Amino acid sequence: MTSPVPYRSVTTVLTLVVPLALAAVPFVVAGAWASELPDQVAVHFGADGPDRYASVAGAIWPTAIATVVVAVASWALAFFWGRTAQVRRVAAATAVGMAAFLSTLVVGMLDVQRGLTDTAGTTGLGLVMTVAFAVGIGAAALAAWAVPRDAHQPAQEPVPPTAAVLDLGPDEAAVWVTHAESRSALVIGSSVALLTLALGLLLGLPFLAVPAVLVAAIVLSSTWFTVMVDRRGLTVRSAVGWPRFSVPIDEIREAAVTTVSPLAEFGGWGYRVGRGGRVGVVLRTGEGLQVERTGGRAFVVTVDDAATGAALLNTLAARSRVG
Amino acid sequence: MLFRVDPASPDPLFTQLAGQVRAAVARGELADGERLPGARELAASLDINLHTVLRAYQELRDEGLIELRRGRGAVVTAPPQDNSELHAAVETLVRVARSLGIAPQTTTALVKEALR
Repeated sequence: MTSPVPYRSVTTVLTLVVPLALAAVPFVVAGAWASELPDQVAVHFGADGPDRYASVAGAIWPTAIATVVVAVASWALAFFWGRTAQVRRVAAATAVGMAAFLSTLVVGMLDVQRGLTDTAGTTGLGLVMTVAFAVGIGAAALAAWAVPRDAHQPAQEPVPPTAAVLDLGPDEAAVWVTHAESRSALVIGSSVALLTLALGLLLGLPFLAVPAVLVAAIVLSSTWFTVMVDRRGLTVRSAVGWPRFSVPIDEIREAAVTTVSPLAEFGGWGYRVGRGGRVGVVLRTGEGLQVERTGGRAFVVTVDDAATGAALLNTLAARSRVG
Repeated sequence: MLFRVDPASPDPLFTQLAGQVRAAVARGELADGERLPGARELAASLDINLHTVLRAYQELRDEGLIELRRGRGAVVTAPPQDNSELHAAVETLVRVARSLGIAPQTTTALVKEALR
């Protein structure tokens, strides 16, 4: 059974129309600034200042093409595999964020060279980079926020009789709690954070605390998750509480044990969108719990003893259909 | 780990919970330093009273099996111990009881009696 991919027009606006409009901005701005810009602008900067030059159009085109490539790939991802809101959100954030970042970068780069006769003396790129990065992140967050949530889709048909179940008494309540973790990423990430902090203290560079805290936050939110199965469904949440994913019990068609190879199926480790639009918290190769949701959606999390979790989910899902 | 409470069982709910944690520690499923779910969270998941979970946790704390820390929840403090001999004996007991056709309740009653 394949169900249609929802919100395709919103997806097209967010992943194609908006990024293409953003890609056009540098061309328009360069046109308005034509008289002030030098014939050859600096486009690449080394440690000792600019080390590569191009015409104004030559400075804009590469980033415009990169924006279009990213936008089309994101559009295809969300248009064909976007049954889950998370997939559409990742696609919209990537396309819009990338477009906003690159366009701001190019406009900023041209801005600092306005009125210059000798572009070798171009300065102020650090600020341009910072602003472009902030604009990119902000635009990505805005695009993700604009993506519509999935509608509540309760399952209509019963849990398949072939699904593994648990011998639970009629009034018996049960909860299964476990962890999904990447111990190596946790150890490496924490070491990097601590080293950076130590370096900052030793060298008297207090601003190093910022990247240290940033790394620590990323590590805590992406390498260690609590996985819980109870009467309300499946919940997966990071050590700091966010991100948090949940599958309500009445939207579960069937849960089962699966084997995950993160690189081949998800293109890497972490919170991922995989082939076919499967969403997952995949932190290692091996055993995982896979939940088939209504609307052709699927969620995977890598855990040990997934059989117990799957059996409990099937049992509680079947119970929720009766009442 | 799996926590389950059955109101139909003659044992009180907090005894059932505490027993499962004890068994999980004895089987090595819960290792030293591992954290149990927060009492509030567990009570909400199982749809039971918070005090039932707290009572189970307090019982485990009094036995020295877990440590209760404000804000950090319950942490397993069981020293690593090799219980394989005990597991083997339990398996033998179950096998013999089954082959003799003795009811589970009778077997547990005999064990409880012997442990007194």
